[in-house]
Amino acid sequence: MSRRATWHLLVPGIIVGAITAVALVVPLLPLPDPIRMDIPARLLPPSVGHLLGQDEYGRDVLSRILWGARTSLVVAFVAAAAAAIVGTCLGLFGGYFRGLVELLTVRTAEAILCFPPLLLALLVVTLLGPGAGTLITVLAFLYAPGFARISFAETLMVRALDYVTAQEALGARPERIVIRTILPNVAPALLVQFSLTVASAIVLESGLSFLGLGVVPPAPSWGLMIRGARSTMEQAPWLLLWPCLALTGTVIALNMLCDRLRDVLDPRAQGRQSSWLARGAARILPSVAGSTQKPSLLRVEGLTIEITTPSGARFRPVRDIALTVAPGETLAMVGESGSGKTLTALALLGLLPPAARIIGGTALFTGRDGRVRDLNLLAEPELRQLRGDEIAMVFQDPGNSLNPVHRIYHQLAETIRAHRPANRSAVAVQAIGLLREVGLPDAERRAYAFPHELSGGQLQRVMIAMAIANGPRLLIADEPTTALDVTIQAQILDLLAALKVRSQGMGLIFVTHNLAVVAEIAQRVCVMYAGQIVEEGPVSEVFARPRHPYTAALIASVPEGGSGRLVAIPGTVPLPGALARGCCFAPRCPRSGPECTADLPVLERISSGRATRCIKWRELA
Amino acid sequence: MLYYVVRRVGVAVGLVWFVATFVFLAIHLVPGDPAELLLSQGGVAPDPAAVTDLRERLGLDQPLLHQYAAYLTALVRGDLGTSLLDDHPVASEIALRLPRTLELIGTAALLALAVGLPAGTFAALRAGTASDRALSALAGIALSIPVFVLGTVAILVFAQKLRWVPAGGYVQFGRDPLQHLLVLAMPASTIAVGLAAIVFRMTRSSLLEVLGRDHVRAARARGIAPARIIMHHVVRNALTPVVTVLSLHLGSLLGGTVLVEYVFNWPGLSGYLVRAVELRDYPEVTGIVLVISILFVLLNLLVDLLYAVLDPRVRHA
Repeated sequence: MSRRATWHLLVPGIIVGAITAVALVVPLLPLPDPIRMDIPARLLPPSVGHLLGQDEYGRDVLSRILWGARTSLVVAFVAAAAAAIVGTCLGLFGGYFRGLVELLTVRTAEAILCFPPLLLALLVVTLLGPGAGTLITVLAFLYAPGFARISFAETLMVRALDYVTAQEALGARPERIVIRTILPNVAPALLVQFSLTVASAIVLESGLSFLGLGVVPPAPSWGLMIRGARSTMEQAPWLLLWPCLALTGTVIALNMLCDRLRDVLDPRAQGRQSSWLARGAARILPSVAGSTQKPSLLRVEGLTIEITTPSGARFRPVRDIALTVAPGETLAMVGESGSGKTLTALALLGLLPPAARIIGGTALFTGRDGRVRDLNLLAEPELRQLRGDEIAMVFQDPGNSLNPVHRIYHQLAETIRAHRPANRSAVAVQAIGLLREVGLPDAERRAYAFPHELSGGQLQRVMIAMAIANGPRLLIADEPTTALDVTIQAQILDLLAALKVRSQGMGLIFVTHNLAVVAEIAQRVCVMYAGQIVEEGPVSEVFARPRHPYTAALIASVPEGGSGRLVAIPGTVPLPGALARGCCFAPRCPRSGPECTADLPVLERISSGRATRCIKWRELA
Repeated sequence: MLYYVVRRVGVAVGLVWFVATFVFLAIHLVPGDPAELLLSQGGVAPDPAAVTDLRERLGLDQPLLHQYAAYLTALVRGDLGTSLLDDHPVASEIALRLPRTLELIGTAALLALAVGLPAGTFAALRAGTASDRALSALAGIALSIPVFVLGTVAILVFAQKLRWVPAGGYVQFGRDPLQHLLVLAMPASTIAVGLAAIVFRMTRSSLLEVLGRDHVRAARARGIAPARIIMHHVVRNALTPVVTVLSLHLGSLLGGTVLVEYVFNWPGLSGYLVRAVELRDYPEVTGIVLVISILFVLLNLLVDLLYAVLDPRVRHA
């Protein structure tokens, strides 16, 4: 629990504590009798003897408010406690024994939730007659199912945990398991539910009293006081004010306590901000001068991304990336999970998650019109016009990348229309044509399917159709085959290769962790490790003669028919926040020496079109 | 889709039967003789002859199973019995008052949606900013004010001090449409305040959840305009949980308008119920509880069907 969260709990906690304390000590306070009438003094405004005035029977209002707090809180707390005990037990038994016990406990309790609560309360009041005892019974009855549900769900979850099964196997008695292991797990959720119930019970109690069906007069209760003040509100509006303030204030404090408790127990629920929605969020960065070389299609230099964690820590998962893509070329980016491939791809399109931002580097892109733009400097509206038009992207998981509630035709058509105005029939012709082009069987009919009605491979074809809809100059494919079956993978790769041939000059960045795919599809490859490019060059050369120990290790770990034994790379990728000095790969490298950990190696050009970040690359030759 | 509808309707019919049985049992299995309970006043034992007479009239002298069968057959015919006090048929009184209550709830729901949806969307798109925090705090307060407090204070301010609207009552639409709406405004707004806060909260959190989903990023990657993304890919997807929560609350409002109808003297179903409870008129109480519960079940059925419209995946579940 963070200090801020504790501080947030403090304010409503103190208020609720103070109200409870007043309710507890009220009999000890030197107050006038709350039910002693003084008819001649009726409706007198506040005075020294009666700080809040006197009501329609001349009773002291302050005294009645404080005694009313006692009534409300006693009824609400006793009812909530009874509901919590009964409900939790029902839920625990139902969840632990299942079967018939579940039906008799949890399911029966849930049936109560089928009724509107106030209605059920009125039904019970008809049967039992009004009074505090009836109120507690009704409220306990109404709120028990809520507790039963929570403890039931939690019990089911805990029961499935390995250590509970292990305890059972060791012969622990069921009641011991329930009390020792399940209860502590359910406690936080029950605590929230308890404070919610108390607030809700106070409202329901005062509501019933207000109707004259709850607390019986002349006992003091906020609901009754509001009821009484209603008839005299023209002469004495303040009489209405006090109980209303007391009641509303108590409920607000309790609800606030409940909200804060929930935030503390479940920090995930707190808001995140989507920066792309903030108006005018132009990404203004210091422009890097000096790169006068004419870029081919895309030329990225010095791209660095920084992530700020919720706790305020910062680290750079992508550092100093440089890459170029020529028209018609396929560049593969390979690396293990967490090497920064996907972040780099997202950064080019300005699609980084809110916590991440580009802190340096250029990404010069040559558009159809021949103009060169720095993608890192473009404002969101200009970048949006490039996205899906000149630069398109295919994502890893096609199932999640399509909106489940819209037919695929509409999503494809909207992509076409986002970039060029066209009439309905022209768009329809183009959309069906695209779906046919990507090999979606029975395209005319399937176009009107919902995403969940298609298979993963078919969905990825649809995603590709959307990506190529506007004839992009550059296509970024982020692990487009990872989520698919092996047989489908090959088909999608063939499709991408065929589309590229037909496209005349479309560049392709293919992000993958699969080296076999790289050899099949790409001309050039850059190998990433821990957020940096460690080696770059033509695929055939890099695979035949790797010049970085990491590349060599990756190639050795690919299963290939006929080759010797598989070699795993020892160790794991370092966490981006905890990088060692010098070469990132040194801790896992068989050739590392003291010189490797002295300084960060630079990406060294070793021949035309080849580069490595290993100072010992000559030893590898 | 047809299978889905048929199954949902089947479940709803089952629930109605369950509710009817529950109400029947609540009255007959509670300790004490209902007839005796009815006639006893302030702990004085009633006249045995009167009790026997009432038992006969209510059919309580017959075997339980027999009573249950009679009760169910009458129910199927739409007969809810007659009032103990004036022999007035319960069903016709409900038919008169139910539309008024539904009008109140419907107006409140529309008002709540009209305020809650845009406010929730606005807050979600500016999550974490000062305006978002202010709106959320306001919703927290709106949720905490009991309706009868809000209603009573509203009468004091708007009807008695400012004299903008009448303090309560009911005017038939056919007689004076303007006055009808004027009288409707305050009770409907009173209910709408808490409801709008609920819609606001749900819209905000649902929207935030959808904003983080992959398909929204993919839509951005296709260059779709932000306004279109928000309307078609965020709000549209975020509606399902909002509809669920709103309908659950509308359901509990079916009984929950009791307080508002009482405060504003609105001659709806709930006022009838309170009077019946006070007078312990069994046929009236059970009839109203039954009708409201059936409406509640029907509302849930409607929501299930609406789900299928909002989310195509549900139709296949």
